[in-house]
Amino acid sequence: MSQTSEPEPAPPASKAGRTKLIAIVVAIVVILVALAAAAIYYFRLGGPCATPASLSDGPATVANPAWTAAPVIQSPEPTDKAIGSPTQAGTITVGFTISLTGRYTVEGTNSLRGLNATESWINTHGGITVGGQTYDVRLKYYNDQSDSGNVNQLYTTLIQQDGAQFLLAPYSSALTTAAAPIADGQDRVMMSHGGAADTIWTSTNRVNLVEVLSPASSYLKGSVDWIKANHSTDRIAVIHESDSFSTLAAQSAITYARSLGLTVVYNASYPTGTTDLSTQLNAAKLACADALIGGGHFNDGLLIMNQLKTTWTPKFVSLLVAVTEPSFQAQLQATANKVLGPSQWESGVTYSPALAQTTGIDWFGPTPAEFTQLYGTLNAGASPSYHSAEAGAALLVLADAIRRANSLNTAAVRAALGTMHIMTFFGEFQIDSRGLQVAHSMVVVQWQAGALKIVQPQDVAESPVQYPYTGS
Amino acid sequence: MADASVIVAQVIFGLIRGILLGCVFALIALGLNLVWGIAKVVNIAHGELVMLGAYGAYFLNLFLGFNPLLTAPIDAALGLAAGLGFYFAILHRELRGKEAITLQSEMVTLVATFGLSLAISNLANIAFTGNFVGIPFDAGSIEIGFLQIPLAGIYVAVLSVVIISLTHVLLNRTYLGNAIRAYSQDIPAAKLMGINPTAVAAIGTGLAFAVTMAGGAFLTTLFPTGINPYMGALYAPISYVIVVLGGPGRMWGSLVGGLTLGIVIDVGQIFLGVEIAYAVAFLLLIPVLLLRPEGILR
Amino acid sequence: MNFGRLLRSAPTLWGLAGFLVVLAVWGPWIPTFVLTLLINLLLFASLAYSMNFIAGLTGYVSFGHVVFMGTGAYAWGYVVGTFGWHPLAGIVAGAAVGLVLALGIGSVALRFRGVYFAIATLVTALAARNIILVIPALGDGQGIILNLGFEPLTWFYTIWVILGIQVGLTYWVTHGRIGYGLRAIKSDEDAAKALGVDAARLKLFVFAFSGLFAGAAGALNVWTLSGVFPEPAFDLLFSLQMLAMVIIGGMGTLLGPLLGAVAVYLPHNYFLTVAVGAEFIVIGILVTFFALVVPQGIVGALRRYVPTLRGIIE
Repeated sequence: MSQTSEPEPAPPASKAGRTKLIAIVVAIVVILVALAAAAIYYFRLGGPCATPASLSDGPATVANPAWTAAPVIQSPEPTDKAIGSPTQAGTITVGFTISLTGRYTVEGTNSLRGLNATESWINTHGGITVGGQTYDVRLKYYNDQSDSGNVNQLYTTLIQQDGAQFLLAPYSSALTTAAAPIADGQDRVMMSHGGAADTIWTSTNRVNLVEVLSPASSYLKGSVDWIKANHSTDRIAVIHESDSFSTLAAQSAITYARSLGLTVVYNASYPTGTTDLSTQLNAAKLACADALIGGGHFNDGLLIMNQLKTTWTPKFVSLLVAVTEPSFQAQLQATANKVLGPSQWESGVTYSPALAQTTGIDWFGPTPAEFTQLYGTLNAGASPSYHSAEAGAALLVLADAIRRANSLNTAAVRAALGTMHIMTFFGEFQIDSRGLQVAHSMVVVQWQAGALKIVQPQDVAESPVQYPYTGS
Repeated sequence: MADASVIVAQVIFGLIRGILLGCVFALIALGLNLVWGIAKVVNIAHGELVMLGAYGAYFLNLFLGFNPLLTAPIDAALGLAAGLGFYFAILHRELRGKEAITLQSEMVTLVATFGLSLAISNLANIAFTGNFVGIPFDAGSIEIGFLQIPLAGIYVAVLSVVIISLTHVLLNRTYLGNAIRAYSQDIPAAKLMGINPTAVAAIGTGLAFAVTMAGGAFLTTLFPTGINPYMGALYAPISYVIVVLGGPGRMWGSLVGGLTLGIVIDVGQIFLGVEIAYAVAFLLLIPVLLLRPEGILR
Repeated sequence: MNFGRLLRSAPTLWGLAGFLVVLAVWGPWIPTFVLTLLINLLLFASLAYSMNFIAGLTGYVSFGHVVFMGTGAYAWGYVVGTFGWHPLAGIVAGAAVGLVLALGIGSVALRFRGVYFAIATLVTALAARNIILVIPALGDGQGIILNLGFEPLTWFYTIWVILGIQVGLTYWVTHGRIGYGLRAIKSDEDAAKALGVDAARLKLFVFAFSGLFAGAAGALNVWTLSGVFPEPAFDLLFSLQMLAMVIIGGMGTLLGPLLGAVAVYLPHNYFLTVAVGAEFIVIGILVTFFALVVPQGIVGALRRYVPTLRGIIE
């Protein structure tokens, strides 16, 4: 390094002694450290900080004081206390992030509403009893703005600042993937209600992430089954978003269709956020396809339907995610009629305590009708979509697992989840050793004259499939 | 699928759609081109203007039931006002009294408009939510054999070409146009001829914003669900490529650039897929800059 | 050179070194929640120094700098996911890919000046993301899902080392012969060339550093996310934040990028949890304000208006 002259026009030309310079250095260090310290102080103002890091290192006892004591202090005024409960011991904080703005606004908002509905149900039905004491569920959440970059920090905040004892995953596979390592790293059970990509579990060795909904690979199989059974000569075109969830769903459908002897004549993917698919739709039409399956999330589903108006009228349309949302029909009006889509749940499903008894498993939570009614009461008469239901069910299953474990300890609750086989309003719940859902089953729905009807499988169908799609 | 006639049919469809799209792209790029050509300022917030134009059309349609084609003049009027405001709030500070725009000023305006673009798109995200919306506008379609061509696309393409032609006439056949061109070529000489540089630059910027916002309104008919606060992030780079392709300051260049890009994107996706078609469209800029820095037109 | 002279000539360098040493010693005792904040702060500072190499030192504003982060991230994901490399080795791979890509892009794009450079880098980043989306080995659009656990301390020290090297390099570049050449290029490239400065080589030299560190930081960023996805890895917002930090802190200065990172990142948690969505409105307005009114940034303004600081901060 050249030392011959100073590059800056204003060098420290003064003959000040070394002490003065050292003082200046120290001053700069102090300023920077003070900045950092001020920042830390500022961020600690948010709430009583839980004991850092060592929080989860305690022995796996039933009532760990560090867990039970903290929430009592910060519990808000309890609004709906259970009547005749043993002892009101406080609250269990369940933390999560959800997309209230950004790409997944529609799905995220409905998930949150579903969570609020089941939270309300649990708290008005005696809360959760652990060790003879009842706890209310308190939801603590932040808006992740549909951006996986926000997830890490928000979940650490939830655990360490807000004292979240259990976690729910965010909406979508990408965000769930980003959040999942925190569940293992910070030793919290995390319930996945919107991350369906099988690869989240299969490509890694996770422990604390538990799936409540059916995995992505099963989404489009019901539609393919119906084509096979009723119009096996229909040629299929697959156009799907290229993210992990949609790709898994679409590729599994293609493999499945081919294994049934169906013809897939066109297959294309498009990147997330695409605003024009007319070229792909036209190519599918020119490939002489009769059925269109695929899609991605809500926005792309809407895009496909809108562009079908001016490009192509396939005989059969089945799209991921978008179709089951009430706003799909609200925005498309008549164009939505006869469009099919896979659904994790619909308010017309036939799950009931009686069915659970026949199957020989336990029932927990409200019935589908009760859930729908409660949801409507809380949300000005709106009807729940499957995103509401799967999120709500995640909280219910978690509550049941805590009750069964009779403990607030992560390992105990995770163990209970691993052995549970129950039915809720959302359907059956049972996981394999990795945490992947194996018991829940999906339905296929179709918009018929402005109403969403379950059309597949046969035993729960409310109405037969209307075929062909006509565009209006 | 591999049948030759199918490929031909696809290419014809791609060409038609590419031309329709290209005309609207050209109109949007014309807005950037005007500012770039006249005030020598590259407006990074250009994409946000497209977005505001699209939302303008959306809300006018939602609340007042306007046909998206009719919202374009209203958008343009708003754009004119926004452009004048933008000139006096941001550009005037930097350009005032300058006789030639230096690289330094160019970078200052670049960075300033970049900050503006961040602020506008995120304000829009709060005001309009990040939800993708669209205008349910369907003017029907004409069928030619196997092909369905949306009529709305034809309308906006024709209107775009009309607006580009009118801009050309304005710049070349009127006193104002002469003044604008004189300003863009030589500020001191223009001043000597009695032209008020501030007024000319402000009007030029206003005109550019008006055109851009009208283009944003037209886009909504081509992309039924594409309206979102961050849509500018796609249309701004597309506009940069188009302007460089056509050459900054050349109004017809925008049309040529727009058509080139539209066709590359829509025909390209048939053979290469969407992702690569867009990548090619973006990267077209590099060889053009290397080999023909003045644009592909001479 | 003797210690005293270096100390006297570089109080800012010693200040920064002191700051980093304090952080490093404190590291194991920092609560995890604060640690995740600090990791991100250092990550952003590292990105700011990376941008500073090119935008600050030469005046070439790169809008597509995220391309190095994105490719670095994918290089990391590929070697860790496919070959089972240790994530730390993956970071080196990310840095190497960033370096090679910077040499490739730089040898073409650095021929364009001003806005043309900005636009050329922007479209390169967009094109690169689209190309990655169709490479099956990189999981096409699906990304690469990994589960490497939650290791804040490892991340913290990794980014600490990266940042430390960057600060040292920035000092070396600005105070050596290269610094003269770069300043000459920044004020008038043609004049510099006429004086015998090998502008093309110097620019490529700093651009390569810039790409290298952006690649390393990008790799670390996806390590903290346990997976590489095209959307977040190539999020243009990173480019914009890097630029914002350098502009606010002070282009081409030694302390500026850190100050910029603190200014841009410190309120981040507040914007995440309370004033959701307002973050980039504020940053955007700040950037516009600085560009028009305080083009020298915080450091430049301090040097200009507080004479006693002139010899101390740089």
